[in-house]
Parts: sequence; structure tokens; C-alpha cells
Amino acid sequence: MNMSLPLESKSSAQSSHNLTSGWLLSITSTLLVLTPSSSQAVPAFARQTGQNCIACHAGGQFPELTPYGRLFKLTGYTIGERTLPLSVMASGGLTSVSKIAAVNQSLVNNTSTGLDLPLKNKQTSLDIASLFIAGKVTDNIGLFSQITHDRYSEVDDQGLNNQGHTTGDNFDLRWADQWLLSGREFIYGVSLNNNPSVSDPWNTSWAWMQYVPSSSGPGANAYLDANTPYASSGLPGDLYSGLSTYLFWNKSYYGEIGFYRSASRLLHFMNFGNDPNASILQGNSNRYWRFAYNHEWGSNNLMVGTSGMAAHPYDSANGVSSSDALSYQGVKNVGVDTQYQYLLDPHTFTVQAVVQKQNFTPSVWDATLNGNTPSTTRVSRVKFSYVHAARNGVSFANFNQNGGFASATQGNTLEVFHLPVQNIRIGLQMTFYSKLANIDSPSNANSARLYFWGAY
Amino acid sequence: MTHFFKYSWSLCLALSLGACSNIERSRDLSNPRVAGATLAQQVCSTCHGATGNSISPQFPNLAGQQEAYLVNQLQNFKGHQRMDPPGPEYMWGLSRRLTNAQIEDIAHYFANQVHVARTDQTPMSKTEQEYQIGLNIYTQGIPEKSIPACQLCHGPHAKGLATFPRLAGQHKDYLVRQLHVFQETEFRPNTPMTQITHQLDAQQMSDIAIYLSRMP
Repeated sequence: MNMSLPLESKSSAQSSHNLTSGWLLSITSTLLVLTPSSSQAVPAFARQTGQNCIACHAGGQFPELTPYGRLFKLTGYTIGERTLPLSVMASGGLTSVSKIAAVNQSLVNNTSTGLDLPLKNKQTSLDIASLFIAGKVTDNIGLFSQITHDRYSEVDDQGLNNQGHTTGDNFDLRWADQWLLSGREFIYGVSLNNNPSVSDPWNTSWAWMQYVPSSSGPGANAYLDANTPYASSGLPGDLYSGLSTYLFWNKSYYGEIGFYRSASRLLHFMNFGNDPNASILQGNSNRYWRFAYNHEWGSNNLMVGTSGMAAHPYDSANGVSSSDALSYQGVKNVGVDTQYQYLLDPHTFTVQAVVQKQNFTPSVWDATLNGNTPSTTRVSRVKFSYVHAARNGVSFANFNQNGGFASATQGNTLEVFHLPVQNIRIGLQMTFYSKLANIDSPSNANSARLYFWGAY
Repeated sequence: MTHFFKYSWSLCLALSLGACSNIERSRDLSNPRVAGATLAQQVCSTCHGATGNSISPQFPNLAGQQEAYLVNQLQNFKGHQRMDPPGPEYMWGLSRRLTNAQIEDIAHYFANQVHVARTDQTPMSKTEQEYQIGLNIYTQGIPEKSIPACQLCHGPHAKGLATFPRLAGQHKDYLVRQLHVFQETEFRPNTPMTQITHQLDAQQMSDIAIYLSRMP
């Protein structure tokens, strides 16, 4: 359910060709109306295992996984029985930015460019809908894949109206096996995926540290938490193709190494719906790595880990789509993250923290034509959440991205939510800024969003 | 590295074909040909531990549990007779396609595992008084409330007997939760525990659980 793409990804997604389609929203809306309020009304994986959502998701928070949910993922989504591997998800709501006109004026003053289209402020809308194809394939192979329609992802050529856009989202096809060696569990596997860290089982990873999805489009949603700084792969485009291999030793040590390349030819579907020229990597050896130590005791579990990315994406701005050595950038990230969970009915308490250093080296062309120079950005985020009886929850997050006036962003996000049934969630999310890139009075962009989310 | 991606699909296809017959380490809960012991190691172990010694008190220890009790509970989950939260949340679905042979095999597997004493409990010095009260209730009951001694059914060492479960070394939080289920709900019907727990107060439940969780 990765709608929280990095800022760079979102902006480039807006330049992708338009595949406007309302069918997904229609189907999702219909299914949500028909959703029965029983514990059986759950998406494909829950039907596969016959279990409640909270078996895999901590306190019913999506996508945060429990220890069992992590093992379900690492064993290749293969626990259970084959069922209809389809699910749908939708979310929408009403967003209000404190003083959106002042924010727009500040942007115009400082960058000569305002918000693309400051619409949707204080308007209720159904923003996002996803179709999942997910489930057990064989004893060792399972799939988690997602196609998402973002109703507000783009602005039309006249700059007057939003346009919808359907794209590939998460894709994780994995083979996994589990051995018992002298009473100790040894899990290993291979993942064919389209986004570095989407294969990771902890929710401090780049792809999964997120809230309920919301549109990445312009206007009021530009100031939701989803568009604040998060640790990320640092890749500038949308989705790629990669093959990673991992192992998990006795629920303690986890290691994963992956190699990524452009999603081209047979693997083009992994970047479905996006501009292929915006997501080109040099060669096949763009590296992703991840190591983590996990410890579980009583009702507690703790992970401390590190991850990184070293890649060479091509400048999409120059329209380069070939192996022009003067047009590739350097992306080198390294970060540490930790997650603590306390899980004992009726309590679910989680602490997540991430610190990441992102090094960027512009291409020769970019440096020559635009004068861009190598830069380093530090992003940190910490989040606390508590859920009672998988029904009512509250969370608090602090985010911080260093830099000068044009990039520094700091603030906090507070959220309260309620799950009347396990597959429907309503909530209020409030984001407060103390610094915001290119905005003179950051508090003008403080936002509040009343949302609903549902899955079937 | 040049060929890494070129052959990725071939690799996946080969793994797929090779994996179709992985009956020895299958996690398929709808295939009657998969041995119960395999499911115990591949599926049940994710929560209850590969040796039946679970880490989280959300999930009971199964190591050394009475085989007949485990069969009985799995059948009750499968038939939805056991309705306390772990049923609909976890066990109904996992047990829905299990055959009788698989259920007996799973029960046999865990009954023959060795219980390992936990080391993460509250220090004895902080629970000495509760432990003694729990010991008294377990061995003597509470005559003034007509509550019989637990050991009459569960045995002097709390190892259980047939469909009376082993309680020794069980997680305290799990025991407390189950005592409340017996007392306050009809989610676990057809058991004398509903009557027995009727007059226990919350502190007495906790005392009994502390005593039992410390038994070897």
C-alpha cells in the first residue's frame, strides 16, 4: 500500500502519461458499500489464512506488521490456501490547509512558481483506489502486487483541473523456504520487486513508513504528512525492477542484498503507467542492502537495522533515455532505523525512528548546464503510536529535513483514528510545520485531514 | 551481473516448478497430504515457536501439552465451538481445512516437545506473596467459596491429564486472559471452568497465574 512515494517520485509521476480511468474507483466504491461488517470481510491475504487482519497488522494499523506478519511476508506469502487473489482499497477525505492562499503567494514570491492548482481545499473527495493481486501461488511462491489510481495526481494542460492517473504501485513476487536446523528457524528467499525496500518486513523501511494513503496531487494535499520528508531510496523516478535475496536466521538476524535496473522489456509492467524515461538506471548493478538485528522477548520486540542504496539514475529532465555517461547522477544513501513494538491485548504500542543521510551527485550535464553541485541531505523521523483493542488509536510523529531555506522542513504530525470494523478506518490527521521549504510562514501550511479508508 | 536480470524470470520459473512438490516444507493448510508435523514446523511455529515454546504471551506454550487436549482444542477451533478472540482472530482460519489426521499429528508433535523454563519473568522477590497465595489456591482451593483445588484435575505438578491441559510454565498473561474468558463469557463452552472460576476475583486469578507460570 505504498502511496507515500518520495517527493521526487511524486513530482515525476505527474509528468507521466495520463491513463485516466474511473473504473477502479467505481468498482472499489461498489465493493465497499457491499462490505459486510464481520471479521471475515478482509482482503486477499486474510482470506488465504482465514485470519483476522490484526494477526499480521499491529493493532489493525496498516501497513505495520506484527512478528507473525513479518514471517508471513518472509515466507513468501505462502501460509494458508490459494483463494481468489484480489482485493481493493480506497481512501478519501477532506483536507484543510490553514492559509493556502498565503502559502501560494509565498511560493510565488520565493520561487516564481505557486501551487499548480490550489484546489480541493476543504472539499471532500475520494482520492485513491487500489487493486491488489496478492496471494499464495505455490508452496514456495507468493505475490503482493498493487495497481493504484490517484484521482488528483496531475493537472491538465490548461492548469485548470485535476486529472486521474493509474499506475503500477508495489510489486513483490517472492520465492521463499524455511528450514529448521537444530530447532532454529532459517528463512531465505528471493524477491523480484519494483521498489528498493518494498521487500522489507519492518515498517521503518523506506517503502513502508507511512500513514493511510492520500493523493499525491497538488493543492491542499501537498501539505499532508505523506508529502513531508521521509527516508527514501533517493531514486528520482517512479518504479524500477530489482532482484534481491534475503535470509532471516532464528528470528534474530536479517540480511538482504538487491540489484536494480530500469523496468524495461519483459519487466516493463513493473513501472506500468509511468513515464519510462523518468526512471532509467545505469546498468544492472544499482545496489540496495539491508541488515537488521531483531529481538523478541515477552510482549516486546525490537529491531535495530541499517540500509542503503548506491545507484546511478539518468537525468530525466534532459530527456535522456540512452547510455549517455554524461547524464547519470550519483545517489548514495545510508541510514539506520529502529522499531519497537509492545503487543499484548488490548494494547499495541509502537516506536519507530529513522535517520538517513542522502548524498546526491549531479550528472555532468546537470552540473554544466544548471550549475548544480553535489549535496547531502539528512532526514530523520520518529513516530509513536498507541492503539487500544484494535479500535481506537493515536499517533505522534516528528520529521526533520536539514538544509537551507529552499529545502529545510520540520514539523509534527498528530493523528487520531477509529476502526469500527477491521477493514474500515476513519481518522483525523494534523500536520504542523515549524520549517517548510520556500515558505516564509510555515504555520500557514498547517493542514488537517479528515479521512476514511477501506479495504476488501 | 550482466546476466543477473536476463535470467531472473528463468530463475523464478525454475524455482516455481521445483517448488510445486515441496511437500516436506509446505505451508499449505488445505493440502491433506502435508504432514501435521510439517505444518507445526512451518505454520504453527510462527507464533508458538518451533519447539512449542512461544515468546509472546499472546500465544500459549504448547511444548509438553497434553495431546488429547490439543486435539480437542484444534477440533473446537475448527468447529467454531471455541469462540474467544484467538479463535476468530487466528485459529478458526488456520484450522478450517485440517484433517483429523493432521490435527492428531500436530498435537503429537507439540506434546512431545520439551518445555523450556522462561527467563524473562518478574523476579521472584517481587511476587513472593502472590506466588504463595496462588500455590495455596492451586493445591487447596478456596473452601469458603466452594472452589476446588486446581490440582485435582490438572495434577500436582500441573502437567495435565488427557483433556485437562498442562498449565505448568504457561504464560501468566495467557492464563489470566483465559480465566477471565471462563468467568465472564460463554466463549469456551462445555467446561467445568465456567463454574469453578465463578467466584474468583481478579487478584486471585493473577496469583494462580503467577504460581503456574513459575512451575517447571
